[in-house]
Amino acid sequence: MSAPSPVAPGPGGAGTGARGGAGGYRVTYPGVLRSEWSKLWSLRSTWYSLAAVVVLAVGLGVAVGATFTDGGGDGPQDPVEVTLLGLNFGLLILPVLGILTTAGEWSTGMVRSTMAAVPRRLPVLWAKAAVFGAVSFVLMLATALATFPLAQAFLADTPIAAGLGDPGVARALLTTAVGAALIAVLGVAVGALLRSTPASIGAFVGVLMVVPNVAPLLPYGWVEDAVAYTPLAAMQPLAAAHPAPDLPGVGAALVSMAVWTAAGLAAAALRLRRSDV
Amino acid sequence: MTIEVRGLTKRYGEKTAVDDLTFTVRPGTVTGFLGPNGAGKSTTMRLIVGLDAPTSGSVTVNGRHYARHPAPLAEVGTLLEARSVHTGRSAYKHLLALALTHGIPRGRVAEVIEAVGLAGAARKRAGGFSLGMGQRLGIAAALLADPAAVVLDEPVNGLDPEGVRWIRTLLKELAAQGRTVFVSSHLMSEMALTAERLVIVGRGRLLADTTVAEFVRSAGHDEVSVTSPEAGRLRELLAGPGVEVASDAPGVLRVRGVGAEDIGLTAAAHGVPLFELTPHRVSLEEAFMELTRDAVEYHAHGAGRPAEVAA
Repeated sequence: MSAPSPVAPGPGGAGTGARGGAGGYRVTYPGVLRSEWSKLWSLRSTWYSLAAVVVLAVGLGVAVGATFTDGGGDGPQDPVEVTLLGLNFGLLILPVLGILTTAGEWSTGMVRSTMAAVPRRLPVLWAKAAVFGAVSFVLMLATALATFPLAQAFLADTPIAAGLGDPGVARALLTTAVGAALIAVLGVAVGALLRSTPASIGAFVGVLMVVPNVAPLLPYGWVEDAVAYTPLAAMQPLAAAHPAPDLPGVGAALVSMAVWTAAGLAAAALRLRRSDV
Repeated sequence: MTIEVRGLTKRYGEKTAVDDLTFTVRPGTVTGFLGPNGAGKSTTMRLIVGLDAPTSGSVTVNGRHYARHPAPLAEVGTLLEARSVHTGRSAYKHLLALALTHGIPRGRVAEVIEAVGLAGAARKRAGGFSLGMGQRLGIAAALLADPAAVVLDEPVNGLDPEGVRWIRTLLKELAAQGRTVFVSSHLMSEMALTAERLVIVGRGRLLADTTVAEFVRSAGHDEVSVTSPEAGRLRELLAGPGVEVASDAPGVLRVRGVGAEDIGLTAAAHGVPLFELTPHRVSLEEAFMELTRDAVEYHAHGAGRPAEVAA
């Protein structure tokens, strides 16, 4: 076999810096974005996970809609919250998939190839966050827009009947998707910070799901108030057309989630800059 | 384009993996990077492409830190020893992901896949690859951006004889095209076949920065073992500048610096009886082992040979 090179460098392998590589190649942000987009979709786990998000959301939405009985039980009584119940699975699956996009690089060794190609490193983190955030947002919004009318088709004569044009409904569908995307990106950040899939999933479940459930047992009122602003708790007002008055407002909930995600990304960026990969 | 390593040191906690290394890798030749397992070869290569940051010292490629180049993959193509591929992605998609960062066209991806002989397996998940196929994929990645330099960590590992021959040819061709070729190995014999220059390390330190020809000359001093009832007298007769005589057992000498013929003639001229006169050629491998003996991290018990322990 022969050496695979269409472009032989000049005599003595003259410097390439000025022309940015033998083939006029150059690392660019759009290039890194395209790379991360391709990486995301070239793994089967992405397709399975995202399919599961849609199927569970639509399936559970239809099931809840078909079996809803007025006054039965003390479940949620919000027209959006009830129909999008299945979207909660997405709030678990998306961050785990987000963790896989980053921690998976370390567990497989891919990170060495990735960081050798983009040795400045941070563009990789931003690209992963942007790609996965955008994919999560679009998927959740589309799923919500499909699930809501499907489930509502069964709810015409109930107190929680509503259409897309009713007050709060469109806003709730939109903020659900925004919140889900923020939680998904938080998963990307946690995976890049901890560099291990099990540790990241453990931290995510522990810090974001268990602690907020346990902490309110402490006899301090402010703890309970603070817990309402943790990412998963903050999803509650976002996913309701008429959030309960004791919950944080929609704007405050969005801001607190954005702060969590930004803090996670900042910590991940710091570690990525500082330590060996 | 040259790779310049200056006072490079890397410590991981208490352990010093690379200890004040200084050497230069030049274009147009194959430079072998030789040392026993755990000598710091892989760490040095990780430092070259910025995966690890040096504790002190520096390494530049083409006059700049690797990360400061607009197209790093076009400067240095790297094959690292540890596998650096997502097991769930196909060979094609793996290379495509790297190509997209640099704006390298898809056609080039297909080209390197063809060149390394992976065309039949390009759509299969890399997780199912044999060690040899994994090496070929790694080499495809290293060649992807048509780099001015290649840095390859133990490229023949896991390759079949045909693959080993292919690598040797490839390395020489890349060097002949004017590229800088830096390739590590723990086998002197392998380097003797492909490399022109040698950088030899042990325990993270530089042991030799030389050419293969020079190393052969300096190491190729043949040894003659001589058995004689008058070994003591013969030893005195042979003494002279450049002559080394050692003895492991009474009546047995190991002589360096004088050929078997001359020893025989000297003995005959002085009436010293000889029972045995055997020339030994010191192999490159032995010379390398001698040079690195003190620097070997892992010894097999009872044998003075480096054990095959993954560092």
